[in-house]
This record gives sequence, C-alpha cells and structure tokens, in this order.
Amino acid sequence: MTVPLSLSDLDLPRRNGELAFDAPWQSTVFGLAAAVVDNAFGGDREPFRQQLIKAIAAEPARPYWESWTAALEAVVETLPERPAP
Amino acid sequence: MSEKGHHPAPLSPVEQRVAALEALLTERGLVPEGFIEEITRRYESEIGPLNGAKVVARAWVDPGYKERLLADGTAAIAELGFGGPEGEHMVVVENTPAVHNVIVCTLCSCYPWPVLGLPPSWYKDPPYRARMVREPRALLAEMGCPLPGDAEIRVWDSSAEIRYLVLPQRPPGTEEMTEAELAGLVTRDSMIGVARL
Repeated sequence: MTVPLSLSDLDLPRRNGELAFDAPWQSTVFGLAAAVVDNAFGGDREPFRQQLIKAIAAEPARPYWESWTAALEAVVETLPERPAP
Repeated sequence: MSEKGHHPAPLSPVEQRVAALEALLTERGLVPEGFIEEITRRYESEIGPLNGAKVVARAWVDPGYKERLLADGTAAIAELGFGGPEGEHMVVVENTPAVHNVIVCTLCSCYPWPVLGLPPSWYKDPPYRARMVREPRALLAEMGCPLPGDAEIRVWDSSAEIRYLVLPQRPPGTEEMTEAELAGLVTRDSMIGVARL
C-alpha cells in the first residue's frame, strides 16, 4: 500500500495516542504475524484472526499481545513442516 | 536484539516464546530481512490517525465528498489514497447533535488500520470491549466524553467484514479554517467515538 505523506505531518499520528507497543517483543510479534499473513497465507488475515479470537476468548484477562503471541503459535502449528522451495 | 550493558535482563517467558517464533519463522524463510522493522515503522509513523483526520476534514468542507463517504466509505476513503489491509469494507457513521456513534470490537481487535493506524491499548482490553456494549453511556463519561441524556448512542461492533469510522461533528467556530487546519483538529479518539471535538 502506498500512503501519501508530507514531512510536516509526521508528528501527528502520535499526538493523541499512546505508543502502541510497550516493549520490543510486542512489535516483534506484531511484525511476525504480519509476515506470516503476507508470506504464508498470501495476505489472508482470516486464519490468524480466528486464532486471535480463540486466544482472547480462552483467557479474556490475558494481556493483549500475549494473546496475540498465543494466536501466532497456534497459526504456526498449522503451517506445513517444510515450506515449498 | 540490542546490547543492554553487561547484565542484560533474562528474557521473560513471553519474550522467550516470541524469540522462538522469530527463530522458527526466520528459518522457514517467512520473515525477510528487515521486514519487522519496516512494517512496524510504517504502522507507527506513516499510517495513523492523520489519514482518518484528512478524510473527516474533506467531508466537512465538501458536501459531495461527505455524501459519497457515507454511501460507500471504502471507495470515498480510497479517493484520498488510503486503503489496504483491514480497511476493505469501511462504513462511516455520522455524529449529529442527536446521535453519537462509537466503535468497538467485542471479539478481538478489529480496527480500521488504514485510517487510524494501530489501535490504542485500551481498545484491545477486555473492559472496553465488554463495557462499551453493556453500558456505553457510563463508560463514555468515564473516558471524558459525557453525553446529554437525550442523545442516542449507537455502538458499532467491528468485524472481519466491516470496519467502522466515526465522522465527528465539525466544531463550531471553525468556518474560516482551511481543510488542512481542520484535519489538525480531528483526534483519533473522536473517530473511534470516545471523544467529541
């Protein structure tokens, strides 16, 4: 996706928002999930989303990015052992 | 992984799990070099509430655009160059003096990423997801957005199929402002519906 940008705008996205990630592992697991969606599922987010719904439902009070981690683990379980070369 | 002095803290259990996932997925060739840094940077700095703010400001100054936006959010948002993952089926809901809209995702964290960036932490937390459906008026008041008793509150539950964006009311006294100046007034929270401008 291409997003038009001007330099003067760059400070705005954070103006009224807290940082989305509180620790480096959270941005890592976010990026890993994006990589799996893009590179293992051809951009289809639904398999990951279904696992995220299950992970959150299983432990509703669990911190969000930990549920995200559990969902990614579950999705990875479903991947074939060996990727196509 | 960066060096953190001579005594790095041991990894927590979840950090160990993420490190194991990263090693496994990298070994399988699913994580190109620099992918994580790039996607995180884009979501943190390029794609953010500013995109949504531009959509709102355009709707305030251009009645024809507003009409298209409310009729087909996805297409009207694409007119401004925004779209892509998590924003394919956008529905824009308009606040009026009588109706206040607010968005939530009760199941997980569906969110209109191309126009609002990454969801704030509270959006993903169980209390928000549960209470916004059960007692929106009380929760909105707690979040600093008290509403008049006669205002109708509409809660929109996002899903994989539909992502909502709130079109806030244009604040009074802004008639002389340019579109760019107006965009600067539009906050992320106002487009989620937990704040009024």
